[in-house]
Amino acid sequence: MFHVVGRRSAPVTRLLASRGTVLVDSVRGRKSRGDPVAKSKEGRIKVPPPVDPREMVVLKDRYTEYQLILKALRLEFREEVLRKKFEEETGSLAEERARQDAEEHRALMLWNQEENLRLLKARVLRIQKEEEEAERIKMEAVMKLEQQQQEFIKLKEKQVLQLQEEAKNFITMENLDQRIEEALDHPKNYNFAVDREGRVVRQTVLQ
Amino acid sequence: MPMKGRFPIRRTLDYLQKGDIIFKNRVKVMTVNYNTHGELSDGARKFVFFNIPQIQYKNPWVQIMMFKNMTPSPFLKFYLDDGEQVLVDVEGRDHKQISQHVKKILGKSEDVLHAEAQARMQASNPANFGPKKYCLRECICEVEGQVPCPSTTPLPKEMTGKYRAKMAESQE
Repeated sequence: MFHVVGRRSAPVTRLLASRGTVLVDSVRGRKSRGDPVAKSKEGRIKVPPPVDPREMVVLKDRYTEYQLILKALRLEFREEVLRKKFEEETGSLAEERARQDAEEHRALMLWNQEENLRLLKARVLRIQKEEEEAERIKMEAVMKLEQQQQEFIKLKEKQVLQLQEEAKNFITMENLDQRIEEALDHPKNYNFAVDREGRVVRQTVLQ
Repeated sequence: MPMKGRFPIRRTLDYLQKGDIIFKNRVKVMTVNYNTHGELSDGARKFVFFNIPQIQYKNPWVQIMMFKNMTPSPFLKFYLDDGEQVLVDVEGRDHKQISQHVKKILGKSEDVLHAEAQARMQASNPANFGPKKYCLRECICEVEGQVPCPSTTPLPKEMTGKYRAKMAESQE
């Protein structure tokens, strides 16, 4: 009466069931041991399907032959696959290949080593150059410092000499009176006149 | 928003799939020692920034580690599975040069990659029907334009076996 869905997995059944179907998981052997036989099956005697003996003999022969052939084919194919795998991994070709790989690897490692050495040489040179640069700069700085010190000394010496020169004209306690007399005897005139062209006139009349 | 980081192109699938360094099966660990400042480490820094994502994408089973500011000069070190260690000096080199060098010494060559691709294609025939794990399709009803699966839509009467059997019987 109701459409019962065929044997599929439960979630798929639930997904694909249309509106009118009753969701029943069709399971064999719904009745348990003690349940009585159904009314419609009361007098039923189960008979196996009829078998023709001559046909059966012929069929058996044919089936055995057929199954023999198929099994042989299957074994052949399986053996071929296994043999290919074996050859791939441990055959003579594989050994050759492994040897060649090792050779190539060694060659590449050598090449890599050479590159590293080349870079090492370049690095050593560069470091040497940098060291020399640093040395030079240090020497220059030291020399510059020395030079500055020398100049300072010279400047100071010049200043001292100049001071000594000026000291000859200083007014001390001894020549105080003499200098006063001198100053009074020779009055100095600081007045001057300038015109627009820049001509200076110092000959003015002292008042 | 969608763009994250300084060069978001590095995060695109397109860019990652363009990586061409596929390591030989022997390489297990890759280590990069470089400095974050300095002219000489510039190539190494760019290599780490641009090429390492591509390498890791193509070699998901190789461990890659970065060590910063532990070395006076940058280098790469590869650890192979027989214990051998391969040292690659990258001081003052450009990131393109570094990646070419690495590809040459430890990458799978073009013909090896071709052979592997061929083997993969041979092993998986797209015409086979079977479990989803091994084949593309399980049943012809999954293909567009073919008769749909009778579990979803019932077949027209003429295609069902019981109708055909009935017709054959009625005709005899």
